[in-house]
Amino acid sequence: MATVITDQGRQHVDRLARIWEERPGILGWITTTDHKRIGLMYFFTALVMFGAGGTEALLMRTQLIGPNHHLLSPEAYDEMFTMHGITMIFLFVIPMTTGAFGNYLLPLMIGARDMAFPRMNALSYWIYLGSGLLMYIALAQGHAPNAGWFDYVPLASKQFDPGNNIDYYGYGLIFNGISSTAASINFIVTIFKMRAPGMSLNRMPLFCFAFLAVAFALLFALPSLTVAALFLELDRQLGFHFYDVAFGGDPLLWQNLFWIFGHPEVYIIILPAFGIATAIIPTFAHRRMVFFPLVALGEILVAFLGFGVWVHHMFTVGFATITTVYFAAASLIIVIPSGIQLFAWIATILTGTPDFKTPLLFIVGFIVYFMLGGLSGVTLAAIPFDQQVHDSYYVVAHFHFVIFGAAVFPILGGMYFWFPKVTGRLYNERLGKISFWVTFIGTFITFFPMHIVGILGMPRRNYTYAAHLGWTLLNFIESIGAYILATGLLMIVVNLAISLFKGPPAGNDPFEGDTLEWSTTSPPPPYNYPVIPTVSSPYPMWDKDDRELDNRRLARGEGLLELGHETPATTAQDAIWDEILKMPSHSAWPPVTALTLFGVFFMLVMAHYWIAGGFLAACGLSLIGWHYKGVRV
Amino acid sequence: MTEPSSRAHRGLHPPQVTRSSAAFTASAAGRVARQRLAQPNGWWGMALFLCAEVALFGTMISSYFYLDFDAHRWPPAGIPDPSVLWPSIGTAVLVAMSFPMWLAARSAIAGRRGRVLGLVSGAMIVQGCYLGLQIILLIQDLHKFKPQGSAYGSIYYTLLVAHHAHVLFGLLLDLTILVFVSFRGLTNYWLIGVRSLALYWHVVNVIAVFVLVVTLAPSL
Amino acid sequence: MLLWWWMLGVATIVFLGAMVMLVMAWTKRGVPGLPFLGERENLAEGLVLIFGIAIPLVVLVALFGVSDVYLVGQTSPPNPKTTAMTIDVIGHQWWWEVHYPSTGAVTANEIHIPVDTRVNVVATTADVIHSFWVPALNRKIDMIPGRRNRILLDATKTGEYRGQCSQFCGVQHAHMALEVFVQTPAAFRAWLANMSAPARTPTTPEEQAGKTLFMNSSCASCHTIAGTAAAGTVGPNLTHVASRTTLAAVTIPNTPAEMEAWISNPQAIKPGDRMPDLGLPHSEVVEITDYLESLH
Repeated sequence: MATVITDQGRQHVDRLARIWEERPGILGWITTTDHKRIGLMYFFTALVMFGAGGTEALLMRTQLIGPNHHLLSPEAYDEMFTMHGITMIFLFVIPMTTGAFGNYLLPLMIGARDMAFPRMNALSYWIYLGSGLLMYIALAQGHAPNAGWFDYVPLASKQFDPGNNIDYYGYGLIFNGISSTAASINFIVTIFKMRAPGMSLNRMPLFCFAFLAVAFALLFALPSLTVAALFLELDRQLGFHFYDVAFGGDPLLWQNLFWIFGHPEVYIIILPAFGIATAIIPTFAHRRMVFFPLVALGEILVAFLGFGVWVHHMFTVGFATITTVYFAAASLIIVIPSGIQLFAWIATILTGTPDFKTPLLFIVGFIVYFMLGGLSGVTLAAIPFDQQVHDSYYVVAHFHFVIFGAAVFPILGGMYFWFPKVTGRLYNERLGKISFWVTFIGTFITFFPMHIVGILGMPRRNYTYAAHLGWTLLNFIESIGAYILATGLLMIVVNLAISLFKGPPAGNDPFEGDTLEWSTTSPPPPYNYPVIPTVSSPYPMWDKDDRELDNRRLARGEGLLELGHETPATTAQDAIWDEILKMPSHSAWPPVTALTLFGVFFMLVMAHYWIAGGFLAACGLSLIGWHYKGVRV
Repeated sequence: MTEPSSRAHRGLHPPQVTRSSAAFTASAAGRVARQRLAQPNGWWGMALFLCAEVALFGTMISSYFYLDFDAHRWPPAGIPDPSVLWPSIGTAVLVAMSFPMWLAARSAIAGRRGRVLGLVSGAMIVQGCYLGLQIILLIQDLHKFKPQGSAYGSIYYTLLVAHHAHVLFGLLLDLTILVFVSFRGLTNYWLIGVRSLALYWHVVNVIAVFVLVVTLAPSL
Repeated sequence: MLLWWWMLGVATIVFLGAMVMLVMAWTKRGVPGLPFLGERENLAEGLVLIFGIAIPLVVLVALFGVSDVYLVGQTSPPNPKTTAMTIDVIGHQWWWEVHYPSTGAVTANEIHIPVDTRVNVVATTADVIHSFWVPALNRKIDMIPGRRNRILLDATKTGEYRGQCSQFCGVQHAHMALEVFVQTPAAFRAWLANMSAPARTPTTPEEQAGKTLFMNSSCASCHTIAGTAAAGTVGPNLTHVASRTTLAAVTIPNTPAEMEAWISNPQAIKPGDRMPDLGLPHSEVVEITDYLESLH
C-alpha cells in the first residue's frame, strides 16, 4: 500500500518539497545531482546509443543479405562491426543497466534519498556522455576504430593501423572506464552505507545484490582494460614495445589483459539483467522468490567466478593442453550458480499465480534466451568443439543470445515495468504484448540461424561471402530477422512515447510491487520518501504493518529529516542508524570537471601532450572548486 | 542534533544519531568521528578507489612477470641490472611516512587541528624529497636505456612512472588538505579528508614496496 | 562432429525440460504451488537444487570428461615424430605462403597432401594474427607473431577441402581462403616433384614477351618465379601459378580472363589488397597473362 498523506503530514511534505526543489530549466538538468534525473539522462543517452549501434547492425545485415554486395566498402564494414561492439557494450548496455536503472532505482529500493556521492554520480554521467561523443567524433571523421571491439595487436598497432582510429579506441575506453569506476564506487558505498535503518543485508532486495556484485566486478575488471589500453597507446604513440615481438614484447599480452577484463565484463552485462528479473518475477508471480539466499549467493558467485575463466576466449592460440583444460573446467563451473538462479526464477513463476503482463513476458523471453545462450556457451567449453567454431558465426550466435536475448530483454521488460513509476502513466498493455512477440520472434530469426552458418564454416567479421558456399539462404533469413527485430524495438519505443502523453494515470502501485519504490508517488518526489521507511523484510511493500507505521510516523512528523537535504547513513551489515548526512544539491562542478577530462583525452588522441596536460591542470582546479565549500554547494 | 526516539523502532533512532555535516569546529568534528559506528562514506570511497588502484598495479606487475617469463634474457643484453641501494633507501623513507600520516589521522579524530597540520606538512616535505630522488634516479636510468628500446624498458619505466604519478598525486592531496584545513578548519568534511589521505598513503606505500621489489627483481 | 550431435541432443533435452516448466507455469497460472505436487516450499527449493545443481553437475562432469579430457588429446598439436611430413604455412595479409621444406617447393593459397598421411602443419605469420582453419579436416590454430603453432592434417578421403582465415586480420580478411587438395600418394609425389622444379621457360613469342614485361616492370619486385630474376617476397610465389585452381586466395577462379582482370585492376576485386593497380595497357596485361598461365 502506498503512503497516505494526512493534513498533518501535508505540511511536512510541503516543507520537504521546498527544500528539495529542483532548479528549473536546462541549467537545472546540467547541474543536477539528483539520482533520478541523472538516471533519466543516462536512459535517454543510452537509448540514442542503442539506436546508433542498432543502425550499425542493420547496415551490416543489409550488406550481408546476399553474397558479394557493395553497400559497405570493406573499410566501412570494419568500422561498422567495431563501432557496433563498442557502442553496444560500453555506450549502451552498461550505462543503461548501471547508469539508468541502477541510478534511478537503487536509492529508492533501499529507502534512501540519494546515492552516497551525488556529485560524483553526475560526473559519471557527463564523462559517459563525453566518451560517447569522443567515439562518434571518430566515426564522423572517418577514423572510427576498425580492428574489432577486442582490437587484437599487431593489427591494432601503429604499423598496421597507422591513422588515429585505434587511439580513439584506447583513450576512449580509458575515459569511459573512469565513468564506470566512479559509478561502482558510488553503488558500493550507497548499498553498504545508505540503506534505510533496519534493512540489514539479508533484507535487501535481490536487485540490490545484483548491482552490488556488478559494482565490485567493474571495480576489479576495469583496471585490466585500462592497463591494456595504456600499454597499447604507449606502443602506438611513444614507440614502446609491450606487444611487439621484435623487441621482446608479446601480442598475447594484449589478449590476456583484454580478456581478464573482457570476460568479467560480460557477466557485468548480464548481472543487472538478473537483478531486473528478480524484481519483476515476485511482483507478477505474486509470491516471494524461491530460495532467496541461494539466488543472492548465485549472483555474487557468478561475478566472482567470472574472473577465473578468461582464457576460454583463447583456446585456439596454441596454449598447452593443461592450461586450456583448466579454464574449460572453470568455465563449466559457472553454470552452477547460473543454473541455480535460472531454476529459482522458473520455480517462482511456476509456484506463484503469475500474471503474464508485458514485463513478465519479457522476463520469460529472457529465460528462454538465457537458456539457449547458456547452453551454446556450455558447448563452447568443450575445447575441441570450440577450436572448430571459435571466431565463426556460432560464437556470434551465442553471445547475441546471451547479450541481446538475456541482457537486453530484461532492460526492455524493465522499461515497461517501471514506466508507470517514472512517468506516472500506464503503458498500453496490448501493444506491449505485441511488441514483445515481434521482438522475441525477430531475435530468434536473426540469431538462431547463425549457429548453423557458423558450423558450416562462416567466419566472423567478413564483409561479404561467396555465393557458392551455401551460406546465402541463412544470411538472408538472418537479415530479415534483423528487420523484424528492429520493428519490434520501434514498437516498444512508440508504445512508451505515446503512453507518455496519452496513458491513463498509474497511481503509486499499479502492479502490487514488493519493493519500496512502489510506496511513493509516481513519479517520485525529489526527496523520494517523506518518511525514512521502516523495513523488516526484502519485500517491504508486502509488509502492511510497516507501511501503516510509516503513515503514522509521517502524521507525527517522525523520521522526516527535514532540516535540509538530509538522508540517513547506516552501518554496513545491520543498517543501524549512524549519522544524518547532508546531501549536495545542484553543482556545476561535475559537468565542468567532465569537460576538462574530455579535453585531456581528446588531446591525447591527437597526441598534443602539452595541451592535454593543460586540461589536466584545469581538471585539478575544477576538483578544488568541487571541494571548496564541502557539501554546501 | 538528535531525532526524538520512539519505542516503536528501538534501534532505528539511537540517541546519538548526529547531523555530522553540522560539525564545523575541530572539537565537534572529532566528537562526531569518535561517535560514529561505521566508517564514513568519504573514507569508504577512498578505500574502494584504492582497490581499483591496487588492481591496476597488480595488472602491471603481472605484465612485468609475463614479459619476464617470455624472455630469454631479462633484462635484455646491453641493459644493466637495476641498482638496489638508493631506490631501497628512498622507498624505506617513503614507507616510514605512513607513521606521521597515521598519527595525523588519529589527531584529527582527537580534534587536534594544529597537530594535523604539523604532521601532514612534515610528511609532505619528506615525500617531496622522495619524489625528487626518484626523478633523479629515473633520469640516470634513461641515460642507460630507453623505454623504446625493449619490452623490458617499456614495462620498467611504465611501472615506475605510474608509481611516481601516484606519489605526485598524493603530494597534491597533501597540499589540498593543508590549505583547506588551514583556511576552513578541521570540519567534519576535512576530517574525513585527513583520514582518507592517510589511507591513500598507506596503500601507496605498500604498492611502493611491491614496485620496488619487482623492478629490482633481476638484481635480487 | 559426433561430440556436437551429443551436445545438441543433451542441450535440447535440457532446454525442452525448462520450456515444459514455463508452459506449465502458463497453463497452471491460476493455481499456486507446483503442478501435481502441491504448495510446500521445500518442494520448490528441491526443484532448484535438482535442476540447478544436481543435474547440471552430472551433465557438466560428463561433458568435461568426454571433451576436455578424452577428446582434447586428438586436437592437440601432433608430436613431430609421429608425423610423416611437415609443411610450413605462413599467414600474410591476405594470402597464405606454403613451403615444403623437404624439397624447397614454395606455393601459395593451395596445400596438397597425400591421403592417410599424418602431416605436421607449422603455422606462423609474417605480419598480424591470422588463423588457419580447414573445417572439414581439423580445428583451427592461430598464427601469432613469435609463436610456431602446429596442427595435424590427416585426411582419410581424397578430395578438395576449403579453408579460410578465421581471425580478423584486416580489410580483406573475408577474402583470405585456401584450398587443401588431398591426393593419392602417387599423385601427390608427382605434384611435389613438379612444384620443386624451377619455372618452365616460355615456348611462344607471347609468353616470352610476357616474361620480359614481368621482369622489367614492378611485378618482379614483389613476386618470385624460381629460375628467373624475379625474387620478390612481398606477394605470392608464382613459379607454378598456372597449376593453381584459384587466384587471390581463392577469391576468383584461375582462368586467363580472370587473371587479366586481376592484373588490370586488383583493387576492384579485392579493395585494400597490397597489389596496386599497375596501370598497364591491356596488350601488356594479355602478354603477362600468357606467360603466367604457361607456368604449370
